[in-house]
Amino acid sequence: MSDVVIWDGIGHTFWGVTKALLPLLVLFLIFQFSVLKLPRSYVFNLLKGALLAVPGLTLFLQGVSNGFFPAGQSMGEALGNIRAQWLLIPFGLMMGFLATWGEPAVRILSSQIEEASGGSIRRRIVLYAISSSVALFVALGMARIVYGIPLLWIVIPGYLLAIGMLWFSERSVVAVAFDAGGVATGPMVVTFVLAIAVGIASAIEGRDPIIDGFGLIALVALAPILTIMVVGLILRLRLRRKEE
Amino acid sequence: MRTHIKAKVLEVITAILPLVVAVVILQVAVIRMPGLVFLQFIIGAAMVIAGMILFLLGVEIGILPMGKALGAGVPRRGSIYWVIGIALLIGFAATVAEPDVLVLTGQVDEVSGGTIASNVLVPVIAIGVGFFVAMAMLRVLFNFPIAYLLTAGYVIVIILAFFAPVEFIPVAFDAGGVTTGPMAVPIILSLGLGFSSVLSGRSALSDGFGLIGLASIGPVIGVMVMGMVLS
Repeated sequence: MSDVVIWDGIGHTFWGVTKALLPLLVLFLIFQFSVLKLPRSYVFNLLKGALLAVPGLTLFLQGVSNGFFPAGQSMGEALGNIRAQWLLIPFGLMMGFLATWGEPAVRILSSQIEEASGGSIRRRIVLYAISSSVALFVALGMARIVYGIPLLWIVIPGYLLAIGMLWFSERSVVAVAFDAGGVATGPMVVTFVLAIAVGIASAIEGRDPIIDGFGLIALVALAPILTIMVVGLILRLRLRRKEE
Repeated sequence: MRTHIKAKVLEVITAILPLVVAVVILQVAVIRMPGLVFLQFIIGAAMVIAGMILFLLGVEIGILPMGKALGAGVPRRGSIYWVIGIALLIGFAATVAEPDVLVLTGQVDEVSGGTIASNVLVPVIAIGVGFFVAMAMLRVLFNFPIAYLLTAGYVIVIILAFFAPVEFIPVAFDAGGVTTGPMAVPIILSLGLGFSSVLSGRSALSDGFGLIGLASIGPVIGVMVMGMVLS
């Protein structure tokens, strides 16, 4: 069992996670002493929580990069060689959904939306919306790899559509939609789904893994933006029709 | 507290298990990846579950309330320079430390044949994020509609996409998604929520959110501009 490399680079990951948290800690403490002056026991609890997050995220990232990444690559290479290549499209649909479903930042955003909306937007609805929209676009990304469609043909019209729609959407829907686009591209999707896509692109002849594989993240980021705004517009139209 | 932890454990298991089960079924039915790779996947899955439980608990107990308190404290210092400074620092630092950014810069290295060193690219991306987080907080402060900023940002992206070298395009778009990782999200999110909560007449939904979405634009522009400069 000497070949299991699951702990490789964990020190590096730990340091990275600590560095990301450090500015918040320092700034918070500066403000605590100068402006906020929150009760000491409360601050102590916050610090305990923040310190819990560091080993947690380290363990998570380590598991994804050393456990999920090689598995994704190996799956991608195996699947790139199958004869019925259209099967990759439903496969992408499934993997896109499941990976986003397990993305921690998507869960954080969903519960914050529920909280900020006073419970009127349910956490689960947001989760389903983001996961299924990513699923659709990963499937689209697979189709792109299989049939060799250039990335810009999808991304440019996609963003033009997003820009057009945001002028007709409510401000809150716009803010939430674009945030969802940012959180959907977390470590689970970026390392695991990307590894699968790059594996497939390198197995299919005539595909460049960099140009054909990597554009997938751009599609994943676009997915929730479009879907949430479309849902927002549909709900708004329905409301208007009810009022009439 | 105990029921809270129990709920988190359940949530994380339902979040991760479906993916693991799907991979196991595929492994048995079609794929047959090497035994060692599969073993590492199973160990990795256990680490992912344990890590995510700790992380989500820590975010809820510590990071979110801390970021909200900081965000709410910023306007009390009065000066607009504090707003800009804090936004720049938080955006920059969260990006520099993001593990996925290092993966991305490795790809860029490959695409550019080594002409773009990661010690140049990482600060470029991080400054892009910091700049857009600052813009996002200023727009909340001055009650400026988010639609203008998003439109301007993405119109610039689309125009640049026609001029930047082809091999930089996928990497540039990827950079936007990659930078807002699991640690940056709760930090930037709570900063915005706290900040908008103490300014009068702001809505939690339409003003508290949007920072992450705007932060994703910065790196796309940054990488495309770098590609153009180099060619």
